[in-house]
Amino acid sequence: MLEERTDSELLIASRTEPEAFTELYRRHAEDLLRYFARRTLDPETAAELTAETFAEAFASRANYRDQGVNGVAWLYGIARHRLGRFFRNGRVEAAARRKLGMPERDLAPQDYERIEDLIDFAPIREALVEALDTLNDEQRDALRLRVIDGLGYAEVAERLKCTEQNARQRVSRGLRKIALLLQERGMQLTTEVET
Amino acid sequence: MNTDIQALHLLERDLEAVAGRERDRLDSVGRTLEGGGPGAPRRLPRRGRGGSHAWSGVAAALVAVLVLAGGIGYLSQGGSDNGATPASGAADSVSTGAPQATTAPEDEAVRDQAVAPGTGGSIESPNERLHVDNDSALSYLDQVGGGDAAGSATRQGVGAVPAQQGDLTKIIRDGRIGIVIADGSFSKGVSRVTQIARSTGGFVLESSSRDERSGTLTLRIPANRFDDAMLALRGLAEELQGEVEFQDITGQDVTAEFIDLGARLEILQDRRDLLRDIQADATSSSEILRLAALIDDVTLQIENIQGRLKFLRDQVAEATIRVEVRERDVQPEDPGPDTENPSLADSFELAVQGFLRILGAIVIGLGYMIPLAVIALLVWGVITLARRRDRGAS
Repeated sequence: MLEERTDSELLIASRTEPEAFTELYRRHAEDLLRYFARRTLDPETAAELTAETFAEAFASRANYRDQGVNGVAWLYGIARHRLGRFFRNGRVEAAARRKLGMPERDLAPQDYERIEDLIDFAPIREALVEALDTLNDEQRDALRLRVIDGLGYAEVAERLKCTEQNARQRVSRGLRKIALLLQERGMQLTTEVET
Repeated sequence: MNTDIQALHLLERDLEAVAGRERDRLDSVGRTLEGGGPGAPRRLPRRGRGGSHAWSGVAAALVAVLVLAGGIGYLSQGGSDNGATPASGAADSVSTGAPQATTAPEDEAVRDQAVAPGTGGSIESPNERLHVDNDSALSYLDQVGGGDAAGSATRQGVGAVPAQQGDLTKIIRDGRIGIVIADGSFSKGVSRVTQIARSTGGFVLESSSRDERSGTLTLRIPANRFDDAMLALRGLAEELQGEVEFQDITGQDVTAEFIDLGARLEILQDRRDLLRDIQADATSSSEILRLAALIDDVTLQIENIQGRLKFLRDQVAEATIRVEVRERDVQPEDPGPDTENPSLADSFELAVQGFLRILGAIVIGLGYMIPLAVIALLVWGVITLARRRDRGAS
């Protein structure tokens, strides 16, 4: 039974039993999405990074060596590498997904709020408010309504007189810009202890 | 997966599809391998792009090995190219007896003098055949009428440098002349060159010829007769209905070195005298031994300087002239490609030479690396065995 195996065993087994990898995914997908969301502050970026990390892990699973370290640490090693490249380049690469023939998917409207719920804005709220000045008016207003005032996207769209999708995009892009800026300034975006 | 985030469910579906495709690939590979029996090992081939990565890795490793081998080969050859170029291989001239025979009396006279008893041994010289000692130098300079400062200095001994500083100009002169003469007159030409050397008080140090139609003679001429000898050699071209093909004269001023060596020699001699005086008054054996070691050290330095001075004096007292004689229809020796301003053909030749040298260096380097590779292979084998044993145990 796959459920009884450890992460390391799943990774090793996935070399000859690829379906074992999906069990590993099920165990850690949401945690990894939260990990990315809290660091990039952007649901779209977090989802893309999660997909790319799992794709890369699957493509390079043959390189995993069981040296007494939990398999999830190996997975988060890939995640840290992907995140570092995102902060350096300002974009998420899709090489691993392309290699495996995986599609690049857009976020469903309801996912924005779900993923933002994973982000704990409290520790960075102050820095976030300071960074609002670096955004354009549309992004700043959308971000203030959504993150500072805590309104839902339907309300944000109504206040800004735009579509919900448009409101989501403004918030998403604003958060991504702020995350990059704060990272550039060397500010810790999360107090979460990495695995 | 217990989440309401749709993106994660979609991603799960995508990964399942990827896993399914991978399962199909593995199954097809497994079926292919079944031909090797049920117990056949299932080494899985890499994906298409992974395969190209593997090949590029192998290619990179191969290049690294070749570069490493080339480096080792280059270093093993002393880090420099001191081999003759193939194009200059024509220089392997064969010494013939004829010209040597004509010069034998002069050479032998000098060599006889070189082994005079009680002398300081051979002098460092560009050509080992030139062995001249103190006494022989004296007699030789007397013979050639060397009344110049260098000659008198030699006569007074190498320790008398300061006494002959009246002539401060010490120049080593070298000449090179190429003469083209009429066909069939090579033997006569060599004979006349020998006569010129003798008439100007010098001798033929070395000679070689090719096919009795072209050859090279190295003359040692008293420095004060150098110009006479060069003039006579130019005249020889006319005499044998030929012409002067080229002529080079170079001079190396060694005056400063001469004066410096003389001053250092005087200081060292004074120091040795002082040490000897102290040694004479010494009472303990340990002090005597210590002083003896110091005196030996100073004496060694004195002898080194004296040897160098002697060599310089000899070089100054005698000039060297290299005479290249060839009959008109003999092609001159190929000096090899001009590396500073090469023609297209020379460039090609240089490129081929360079390629062959690098190839040679790689072959030499690989020779050095084989023992290392064997050791590395053994280590790898031991590690692999140990790992397998560990896995088996676990």
